[in-house]
Amino acid sequence: MPEKVKLCNNFEIKAAINEIAHSIVAEFHGKTPAKEFALIGIHRQGVPLAQRLISSIEQHSGKCPELAQLDISMYRDDIGMRNSLPIIHETNIPFDVNDMAVILVDDVLSSGRTIRAALDAITDYGRPKLIRLAVLVDRGNREFPIRADYAGIDLTVAQDSKVMVEFGQSENDSSIYVTDWDKA
Amino acid sequence: MGDIAWHRKDLLSIYDLESEEISLILDTAEEFKKVSERNVKKVPALRGKTVVNFFVEPSTRTRMSFELAEHRLSADIVNIAADSSSLRKGETLLDTVRNIEALQIDLIVIRHSAPGAPMLIAKNISCGVLNAGDGAHAHPTQALLDLFTIREKKGRLRGLKVTIIGDILHSRVARSNIWGLLKLGAEVTLAGPSTLVPRDFEKIGVRVCHDLRSAIEDADVVNLLRIQHERQRAGFFPSVNEYARFFGLNETTEKYLKPDALVMHPGPINRGVELASTVADGPRSVILEQVTNGLAVRMAVLFLVAGCMNK
Amino acid sequence: MSDNSEILLVGGRVIDPFCKMDMVMDIGIANGVITEPGKLKKPKKIKLHGKVIAPGFIDMHVHLREPGNTAAETIRSGTMAAAAGGFTSIVAMPNTMPPADTPGTVEYVRRHAESEGVVRVFPCGCMSKGLEGKEMAALGSLKRAGVVALSDDGRCIQNHELMRHVVEYAASFGLPILDHCEDESFKANGVMHEGKWSVLLGMAGQAAASEELIVARDIILSRQTGGKIHIQHISSLASIEQVRQARAQGINITAEATPHHLALTDECVKRFDANHKMNPPLRSEEDRQSIIAGLADGTITVIATDHAPHTTTSKLVEFDYAPFGVVGLETAVPVCLHHLYHTGVLSLSELIAKFTVGPAEILGFEDRALAIGNPADLTVLDIDDEFTVDATTFKSLSRNTPFDGMSFRGRAVATIVAGRIVHSLLPGSAR
Repeated sequence: MPEKVKLCNNFEIKAAINEIAHSIVAEFHGKTPAKEFALIGIHRQGVPLAQRLISSIEQHSGKCPELAQLDISMYRDDIGMRNSLPIIHETNIPFDVNDMAVILVDDVLSSGRTIRAALDAITDYGRPKLIRLAVLVDRGNREFPIRADYAGIDLTVAQDSKVMVEFGQSENDSSIYVTDWDKA
Repeated sequence: MGDIAWHRKDLLSIYDLESEEISLILDTAEEFKKVSERNVKKVPALRGKTVVNFFVEPSTRTRMSFELAEHRLSADIVNIAADSSSLRKGETLLDTVRNIEALQIDLIVIRHSAPGAPMLIAKNISCGVLNAGDGAHAHPTQALLDLFTIREKKGRLRGLKVTIIGDILHSRVARSNIWGLLKLGAEVTLAGPSTLVPRDFEKIGVRVCHDLRSAIEDADVVNLLRIQHERQRAGFFPSVNEYARFFGLNETTEKYLKPDALVMHPGPINRGVELASTVADGPRSVILEQVTNGLAVRMAVLFLVAGCMNK
Repeated sequence: MSDNSEILLVGGRVIDPFCKMDMVMDIGIANGVITEPGKLKKPKKIKLHGKVIAPGFIDMHVHLREPGNTAAETIRSGTMAAAAGGFTSIVAMPNTMPPADTPGTVEYVRRHAESEGVVRVFPCGCMSKGLEGKEMAALGSLKRAGVVALSDDGRCIQNHELMRHVVEYAASFGLPILDHCEDESFKANGVMHEGKWSVLLGMAGQAAASEELIVARDIILSRQTGGKIHIQHISSLASIEQVRQARAQGINITAEATPHHLALTDECVKRFDANHKMNPPLRSEEDRQSIIAGLADGTITVIATDHAPHTTTSKLVEFDYAPFGVVGLETAVPVCLHHLYHTGVLSLSELIAKFTVGPAEILGFEDRALAIGNPADLTVLDIDDEFTVDATTFKSLSRNTPFDGMSFRGRAVATIVAGRIVHSLLPGSAR
């Protein structure tokens, strides 16, 4: 088993999610109709995060934006450079992204490469009005000129360590760990 | 993490694959099928990769399907047909592919009339090799698209009864289908004239049958193969007419089929021989969907193999 | 070819099936012939404790490729391969380019074998002119030029009347017929045995019936004419059964098996390596077992290699396009010790007889026993030496073996031809 160190518990994570939801509501509520803004979770952990964000947004504003899920495997820039291919998960965008305000959701922002791929993927589905980025953890270490519009937790960890977010079945089960990259 | 490592740089035959690998290809193909349904029918997955379609035996359908799959994955493509290749000048197959490889290409898709030719190449060069049909030996992507189509329509493969009818002896499509169906738990029946359906297939757990009615009456899927006129000349059966009378699927024999049976054909169809137009264009036919799915399956296979090339 | 130096082989177990001998004893060699040890003056002593000394092995089925295809093999390299494999005498098949259908070609082979060969080479002549199966070759003249047998090996005379004449005419010169049995109307471009594996692999098959029909023909012709016919590389169960019955009836039929047919089956073809392509093809496990049974009960009296060298380039192609044939001289003894002796199918003496008594009887060799005054042709075996075949070390110019990388127990560790050591893995010998 890799040596995992727990950095945040469920309570802290819930607070961070609420904070992000609050900021999103502040930006979009009243100005943009709920039908015209939506969340797109990036596989894998961006999807459960987006689900939790949506229920939090609903609690704050009473409105429930739509949820999409996106797999970016076909848009990666490292095909043939990794030891194994990730399984392609289902992409399901149940709405027309044209003229939509879209909030991309991912668990951890690091190099920015995943988000670069996600931007390419979304724009192949249409021309959104705007795209925002929400992440639970910003751990720095950026390789691309990309920043989060909403970040719940800022972490400073060693460059060669990996930050992992785990969401359990229930809304009260989640945690953030740090572990050595090569053991992850 | 549940990430299955796809670890093959080549796709040579279904016989080589584990059932989990076949399922992984089919799952991956489902996502690639959606790409072709979008407005932008293209992803950058193979951007910067070069694929050579090396067809030492002529092909229209398979080559077009591969070519389109490669385009939709953003690969760069070179087509070499047997006529224009230097094979005619007495160069060996290996010399030819080593020359191709020296141009820094990443993948070779090969169609060849000699069984085992893709294996010979894969063993001797480092770029990935996809078998697009080698003699009567294997046609893995055709089998995968057939499996995909059945799974999509029936929701499963395990326990289904699948009957393949025609010239099994000379058919790479049949061989690859048999292995794929057996590995995924389907029951296979082979039917056709006794000269073209060898009993040796029974040794791998397949039913061999020379009567159309008993072959199809409880089948969930009927896959008909193209019958070649040259087999008649070689003395395998007396005439195409007699073949159609005993093994053709037409208005009369269609009545033996279950209402929800699927009718499949790898194309091109000899209308009125193995398959009557009314059946080919009828409600049970999924022949055009097979073509659509072929594209998705080939995209998936190219994507998976390309991901393992530098290892 | 003979050597004047004296040799004393000390302490070996001498097994000579010609005189039913199996005992530890010393053997003396002087002037190229077997001599009483007491009569030697200052012999070089070679200790062979724990080793087996046998009469020199004979391979009556070798393709030397010279003249015509010296890139694949020459008389020099082929005889060196024979020596390395433990053979002291080989019969050279006539399907060279040009074929040995005239005394001139036979002369060429004999002359080169005398000057360059390291083992004894016995030429075999063609039955038909140009191996075409149409007209009889000049069999009498070939005999006078020195052939010991006749064969169209690689091809098979399809015209039964011509074959009958050849058998009758050859008999009058005392020449045995070595027949490659294949009904060519059955062939249909087959590249492997027709059966389960050809069906599974989608490869064109060669029906066993094509061999069996010609074996039947040969038995009928031998019975009718009294001529001596030897079935080359017998490969199928039904062929062997026919030979068994014919021999029981006293018909003058013999048969040989190759090491590859008794060790391997058609399943090997699934790797599409053309080093498993030969004619007749590797057959089913049932056929393989019938070959072993035929060797055990004496139906098959000869093991011969059908050593068929082909260059790596010519074999490294699509299976369909590769030429038929595998080399065998340097692996035959290990393969047979492994599959026939160590498995208990044959005694050591019975196995040695397949390489000595069997071929000598067919070819009319009468001086092959380890008896005083006979030529000093000997094969020394280490029956427990375990090793792995490495084709890159072959003396043959070709490496087309299906046994590369396989491990075996037992091999020839020394070969002596006319008193000269032409191959030795014994301690102290230069490699």
